[in-house]
Amino acid sequence: MVTVLLPGLLADQAGGRKELQVDAATVRGALEALPVRDLLFDERDELRPLLNVYVDREDIRSGDGIETALSGDETIRVVAAIAGG
Amino acid sequence: MTPSILVGTRKGLFVLRGDEGRRKWTVEEPLLPGWEVFHAVHHDGTLYAAANNFVYGATVQRSSDGGKTWERSEALGLPEETGLTLEKTWHVEPGHGDTLWLGAAPGALFRSADRGESWEPVMSLIQHETRERWNPGAGGMCTHSIQVHPTDPNTIYAGISAAGVFRSEDDGATWAPKNKGTAADFNEEDRFPEVGQCVHKVLLHPEQEGRLWQQNHCGVYRTDDKGENWERLEDNGLPSSFGFPIAINHLKPDMAFVIPEDSVRGSEGEVGGGDRVTTGGRLGVYRTDDGGRSWELASNGLPEQAWVEVLREGMASDRRDPVGIYFGTKSGAVYVSPDEGEEWIEAARHLPAVLSVEVAEW
Repeated sequence: MVTVLLPGLLADQAGGRKELQVDAATVRGALEALPVRDLLFDERDELRPLLNVYVDREDIRSGDGIETALSGDETIRVVAAIAGG
Repeated sequence: MTPSILVGTRKGLFVLRGDEGRRKWTVEEPLLPGWEVFHAVHHDGTLYAAANNFVYGATVQRSSDGGKTWERSEALGLPEETGLTLEKTWHVEPGHGDTLWLGAAPGALFRSADRGESWEPVMSLIQHETRERWNPGAGGMCTHSIQVHPTDPNTIYAGISAAGVFRSEDDGATWAPKNKGTAADFNEEDRFPEVGQCVHKVLLHPEQEGRLWQQNHCGVYRTDDKGENWERLEDNGLPSSFGFPIAINHLKPDMAFVIPEDSVRGSEGEVGGGDRVTTGGRLGVYRTDDGGRSWELASNGLPEQAWVEVLREGMASDRRDPVGIYFGTKSGAVYVSPDEGEEWIEAARHLPAVLSVEVAEW
């Protein structure tokens, strides 16, 4: 099982759960299995641009992006962009 | 039933609870922390909030337990064939029965037939034949005004900035532009186009058939024939033709309230919007009781020296007698007049920037 760690607002929208276990072969599969998928992806299934996603502390942009493969024991951390006011 | 004010802010939704006289108000802990609440309404036992987050997008949140728990509209979006994606949700308007309407950007309208559980895009307006002549205002191309006839569910008005006012008389199947007489002073080539007007807020009077009021980028207007012809109502006491919100009195069709900003005279061809702050550094609510033929300052109790902004959703009126008028500022204050603008009371201060004010009772 893959572990997904969510930031505060997403955890709140996921019923207060900051950590979820999902069964998925890719990062996309893991994020789409979450109860907050609509907050992570727009209606074209594009990952929202101000989200950063790390697999075992590595930015998915340095791998295959949202299609990065998972072996099953990784930890995915979703981090909102540090911006705004 | 307690008088309440739903105050949508940049940092969540605040509920203000009042006494029966609407003179004493308490501020409750914010709901929906982390969300920008562009508008919220209480209808038939449920709270609905047009909620936006700059990272996580746009949605509608609803609560049937007074804000303790919320459900999110998860499948909200625009079809691929439009080439558009949802930017912001702006306004939730109750319709007849279980129907709700949702205004959104860019220039979008949605309809729910199941009290907000699911939403369908209203393609007849989203893909309107005039759309290529619509342009976004400073706040985006927002569908912010939705007014449903109180007894005829087939008649609906929508205001989009900067596209203008549209009317449907067949329950949303078709829409016709209704902008005759409203100026687009910023359009040098055509000051009175069919569409493209920068409407800031439109309200339908619930009792006087055919009457609507409008605060526009270019003037204040009234129509008495369902939007077929609009009459411009300035140079008659208003210090500026520019402003965003407007409020009406459900018991007195000839009464309306505006909060002018900038200092422009549309009759002289000036175009407002360059100085979006209360005219002359005065928080001035202006009231008419003769259908807009004359306006008077009705600001007793408001600070005389104040450079503030009140947004298009930032003003409301209740259904009591005498009618109460409510507004909130971007600097986080909420003011209430329990008596049609005769006097004003500060109901809250130090809130986040106020995006919307709506009245509720529960």
